[in-house]
Amino acid sequence: MAIVKEAYKALEAVVGAKYLSDDPAICEGYRSGPCGYEAGTGYERVMTKIPGAVILPRSTEEVQKIVKICNRYVIPYVPYSTGFYGPRSHPHVENALLVDLKRLNDFEFDEKHWYANLGSGVIYSQFQEECLRRGGYVVIGGGGAQASVIANLIGDGWSPLTHRIGLPHRRILGTEVVLPDGEILRTGSLAVGDDPFWGDGIGPDLRGLLRGYTGLRGCLGIVTKMAVKVLPFQPERLQPTGISPNTALALPEKRVKWVNYIMPSKAAQVKAMYEIGKAEIAGAVTKVPLFWRVIAKAECKEEFWTEWLKETPETIANFHIVRVLLIGFTSEEQMEYDENVLNDIMMELGGQPRRTKPSDESWIKNADSAGMWLMCGSYVSVDYVIETLAQATEHGPVYAELKKKYTPPLMPDHGDPGWFQSFELGYHGYSEFLIYWDQDEDTTGVDHFYLETSKMNIDHRFYTALIGPHQPMYLTGPKYGPNYHEWMLKIKNELDPLWVCHPPVPFAHDEFVDRAPWMHELKTWESPKKSPYPEWLQKQLAAETAAFLAKK
Amino acid sequence: MPTTKVNLETTDLNNYKYDMSRCIKCKGCYWVEHTYQPGVKFSTRCPSNLWNDFDSYGAFGKMRIGTGLVEKKLDWSPTLLEIVYADPLCGACDVGCKRNLDLEIELSLEAMRVKAVQDGAGPMPAHKKIAQNIASFHNVFGATHANRKQWVTADIKVAKKADVLYFVGCTASYRNKEIAQSTAKILSAAKTPFMLMPDEWCCGNTLQSVGMLDEARELAKRNIEMVKNSGAKTVLLSCAEGYRMWKVEYPKLLNIATDDLGFEVVHLVEFADEALKRGDLKLTRPFETRLTYHDSCSISRLADPWTPWSGERGWMGTVSPPLKRRRGAHGLYAQPRNVINAIPGVQFVEMIRTRENAFCCGAGRGTKEAFPDLASFAAGHRLEEVKEVGAEVLVSACPWCKNNFAQAVKEDGSSVKVMDFSELILASLEA
Amino acid sequence: MINRDELAKIVGKENMSDAQAVLLNYSSDHSLVPPGVPECVVWPTTSEQVGDVLKWANKNNVPVVPVSSKVHFNGGAIPRQGGVMLDLSKMNKIFEINVDLKKARFEAGVTWGQLAGELAKKGMRVMMPLLPHANRSVLVDYLEREVPTNTVYDYGEPMMGFEVVWPNGEVFRMGSASVNGYPDSGSKGGNPSGPGIDFYRLVQGAQGTMGAVTWTNLKIMFQTKKDKVFFAPVNDLAYANEFLYRLLPRRVGQEVVLLNRVDLAAIVAENMPADFEKLRATLPPWTLAIVISGLTRRPDEKIAYEVNLLKEIVKNEFRKLTVDEALPGFPGLGGKLLSLLRNPWPADVPYWKNRWQGASQSLFFIARPEKTPKFVDVVEAVAPKHGYPVADIGSYIQPIEHNRACQVEFTFFYNGADAAAKARIAALYRDAARALIAQGALFTRPYGDLATMVYERAAGYTMALRRVKKVFDPNNIMNPGNLCF
Repeated sequence: MAIVKEAYKALEAVVGAKYLSDDPAICEGYRSGPCGYEAGTGYERVMTKIPGAVILPRSTEEVQKIVKICNRYVIPYVPYSTGFYGPRSHPHVENALLVDLKRLNDFEFDEKHWYANLGSGVIYSQFQEECLRRGGYVVIGGGGAQASVIANLIGDGWSPLTHRIGLPHRRILGTEVVLPDGEILRTGSLAVGDDPFWGDGIGPDLRGLLRGYTGLRGCLGIVTKMAVKVLPFQPERLQPTGISPNTALALPEKRVKWVNYIMPSKAAQVKAMYEIGKAEIAGAVTKVPLFWRVIAKAECKEEFWTEWLKETPETIANFHIVRVLLIGFTSEEQMEYDENVLNDIMMELGGQPRRTKPSDESWIKNADSAGMWLMCGSYVSVDYVIETLAQATEHGPVYAELKKKYTPPLMPDHGDPGWFQSFELGYHGYSEFLIYWDQDEDTTGVDHFYLETSKMNIDHRFYTALIGPHQPMYLTGPKYGPNYHEWMLKIKNELDPLWVCHPPVPFAHDEFVDRAPWMHELKTWESPKKSPYPEWLQKQLAAETAAFLAKK
Repeated sequence: MPTTKVNLETTDLNNYKYDMSRCIKCKGCYWVEHTYQPGVKFSTRCPSNLWNDFDSYGAFGKMRIGTGLVEKKLDWSPTLLEIVYADPLCGACDVGCKRNLDLEIELSLEAMRVKAVQDGAGPMPAHKKIAQNIASFHNVFGATHANRKQWVTADIKVAKKADVLYFVGCTASYRNKEIAQSTAKILSAAKTPFMLMPDEWCCGNTLQSVGMLDEARELAKRNIEMVKNSGAKTVLLSCAEGYRMWKVEYPKLLNIATDDLGFEVVHLVEFADEALKRGDLKLTRPFETRLTYHDSCSISRLADPWTPWSGERGWMGTVSPPLKRRRGAHGLYAQPRNVINAIPGVQFVEMIRTRENAFCCGAGRGTKEAFPDLASFAAGHRLEEVKEVGAEVLVSACPWCKNNFAQAVKEDGSSVKVMDFSELILASLEA
Repeated sequence: MINRDELAKIVGKENMSDAQAVLLNYSSDHSLVPPGVPECVVWPTTSEQVGDVLKWANKNNVPVVPVSSKVHFNGGAIPRQGGVMLDLSKMNKIFEINVDLKKARFEAGVTWGQLAGELAKKGMRVMMPLLPHANRSVLVDYLEREVPTNTVYDYGEPMMGFEVVWPNGEVFRMGSASVNGYPDSGSKGGNPSGPGIDFYRLVQGAQGTMGAVTWTNLKIMFQTKKDKVFFAPVNDLAYANEFLYRLLPRRVGQEVVLLNRVDLAAIVAENMPADFEKLRATLPPWTLAIVISGLTRRPDEKIAYEVNLLKEIVKNEFRKLTVDEALPGFPGLGGKLLSLLRNPWPADVPYWKNRWQGASQSLFFIARPEKTPKFVDVVEAVAPKHGYPVADIGSYIQPIEHNRACQVEFTFFYNGADAAAKARIAALYRDAARALIAQGALFTRPYGDLATMVYERAAGYTMALRRVKKVFDPNNIMNPGNLCF
């Protein structure tokens, strides 16, 4: 049933007719797939729908009115900033209202106090340029320069620059959230006034409701405005150069420099990260998969494969690179100090510097995530977890081993163990494992691998990014906390009693496993007999499951 | 893995099924390329999606819509037609996407229009009127064909035979005679004799742009034949849209390569740059002004030469034989800048969005006629940028840009002077 | 009437007491919060015992007040509705000190004195707030968001994965310590965030109202190889602020503190009251202290580049400031202050704030640094109205993270044995708080009276907080009457 007329009229009164539409052509433009992050998977095909209507509010007040109307008429709604995160950012039930937040793009900068106050429509490359212009910088999350700053900061928000800048959670200052039932929550210093400069408090910190480790995928409200910390950088300009597709930032070499080192072994590679963290130098320290370097050099997909297929498991296993970004925050003298210390470490460990371009094609401003789709057409990260260097350096090979069973359809990568690096000056370690495939092939293996990694992490007692809404809650819940899922369910029921905010998240992956016949064999855990949803949602999900199975 | 036969013909939308279905919604088609991102202001390069905020109006939305058309999920409707046609096809999306990927966005958008025409749904009524004008009067305006050469004043010498053929185009012939006259005088000043088409007809830009390929192809054949008969070695244009038509679309329509046309296609900015280097063009009269330059799309992003291709797509979407994709890297970026920098007295200040990041004026390829509001919006937005950099004069290399900007200036009430590139050069030539 | 036998069964008879003398220890502290007496106290020794106590408390609807330190300054652990003191001080194991991963894991009962001593043996240290009392719980101080004296790190927040016992008695690990089988696991507990939601945030600043935290992982640091302490006498606070706005974003300095003459005298005086009075009279109005340190590698070069920039900025942009390794007239202060900044305040002498008159009350809040002169004016206007001399106000400004913000702390000193003086200070405290709030002072940790003042201005936040509290503590047994609960 489409959105009822009364509700549609009420919504129209909030934003004006120009910013609301239920036209099929408009709604089709908001389809999740067929491609994108985590698209080309069973989850995307089974769980996403095009919206019943799309609305574009301009302010927190308009968002609040919209949410209240949705509660009044029991209309499922989904917050959407850029939609880049893939199926999980799109409606999962029919006739949902997609709340497109791109018009919330106000931006203010407080240079003296190192933060910017911005809306959900502001993306990272805009933000980073505003920071660089003022002698500051931020982490552009691995999602890319095109990601919404707010959406990324409540679900992701790290990159090699996190070696110095640290967890994204700490960069969230005064924030405005429209809770699922339409109440407004203002956190930090915004709780008591209009100044968003501070993030903690008052007393217990309700920023705890914003994200978890990798986000709530929009099921606990809509963040409309956020003050975000900016970190001091250095004063020299990073000049954009080149014509697309060969663009880069030219680095002022006395203040910003990448250096690549070839290490004699994995042990040396890992030790380098520990030592650099211990010495408290550098702005980034990372090791990335070898095929990323091939992507960067290849002019097209075909060239990539021609080069990549020359590699072998042996060349991969023996490729130990450490990339270090030196930043002269304080002065040129400090840059020299950092470089001297780095050279000391590399001398001790046998690291050999390679000729490195005096430019940045990624990470500082571009964050080249779109290249991830070049090789095969489909991509998802099956982990992007912050833990310690102890877990980070051991995590990837465990994935690589499991992946062999699912290759094909997964891309042949000669057992590459993903990437890992130091975060927060060695207090944390980061590991990410990425998979690629062609969605025109049978993707059952992709869906299975994705779920099997969750069980693998449980067995190995690893922490993982794919927790919460990313995997079946009844699988991971009992094994982490334990029973974090029960608390999430209680919070969800308290704040969203009608379950109108992006249903059935956070249980969407549970629904997927139950709905998709090819997933049933993997279900080795119990789900409770009593459904966690209110009656209207139970009915709707049952009907949509039946429709899906009938189509098959 | 089985392979699929594929080629670059826009007459079959299925040729672009892979491309459209592989859009990752990164909006590289919408934003200024991130390396060059100037901040929160002037941060996009898609006029359609800035004019209408719904995702469907950006290329990333249209790729989903195109996939929907191929999969027969969507029927033609007024909204769908607006989505497909309210778009100057400026190429920003194509170049933006190809920064990282191998997807043919521009060609997909063209193919959607061809399908609209094939299905009898398109083009827009205003485009049909233009098609009628061309059929009846050989120009987009429906003006008297016999008056096409009225721009030629007594002081302009047209050669009976020359290596260079100046293709004037409809707009300069009828609406912007000053451009044609300035161009002619520049050629003379550079000691370059030129001829005109004995009987110049429209280049067919609007027809090709809106998906009326058969009509466009007839014009292409006719015009090429006429050039060949003239013995010209070079076709020179002062209109960016015309330049694109001759250099890229004519070969595309005839399934040949640009190199196989049998003559060179050159825009005035290229000619001037070469003439300057040779010493044949002397820009010595000072022009004291603070000036900025708008990169017209059809001599920038859309200007890479055409090579036909057909082959197969197979494993992981790879194609064979190898396909060197057009990524907009060979636009005429340096040439106009060389010329501007050679003019004494000019304080040249770049726009915030330049070259492949330039924001289209919104007029071209049938957009102004069918969607005057979009064209006016885009030009008004670009004018804000002109004012932001403090320019007194705005120069472009296309009459469509000039006229649209001039209208925007008038509506805005500002004092920015809008000039064509030909007028700028002329102003710097000694009398 | 509490069934003490049931409690004794859970923790063992020797770990339960209802002796009056014992209970009185919990009824008041160094703050002005009115006394409240618990009915009994238990000292669990395991997380499971903590869980069982809380299950029992829920079943019997008995308030529970968690406490871990042996000395308290803010009244957060004074029971308001009787009940049971859940004293975790016997849970004082240090499970591990991992130098490679730069973290330590230890229980709530571990004190600053204990931890600092063990870390020093391994060449390590921990980032500290200003002069933490040796008998205070490290875990609780960081849970309560005490502000560290170190301004240079981007990532702040030293807490990593920790364990809480929820009010319903469930033992729960958060962050990457949540993996099954921890610590015998691939995950080492380094990440505080998740799983699912950020539970750790809900427990921070909660003064024991959301659960009882039993152990934590904490970031530790290598000891510095070399240090230099620079001083600048400050007469013009606004000018000093501008200097810090300029200097600190350039990542110069480790510990940076700004203390007025009263506070600095109270900290460094050898003999009370003679030394204190002399120092108070002769110290500049404010003293800015900047510690510049060489770390594990090339320490001299690190010190050199920081000092070079410091001197360059002073010379070119802040000529009115004299920055030197000695504070004129106070030889040896650098070494003395450094030692104080890097060690907990010893437990066997009166706390520095109480050395002068026996008692004190501090008022601390977060602010934009440029507003600090205004806040000083506010307090200096209020104090005399309560008969408190302006010259007796202790002031401490702690820059935070490149000086993006600061913590401001005013301290009022009084004779604790004089009831009238205490009442005057209490009235001054409340008045000053109100006046400061009206000027935008941000009390993010509202202890005692401050809670009502702050939460009544935060209606939306308070409402949301109560909804969340309802989820975790539906019977409101955890430290009821505290904060806004």
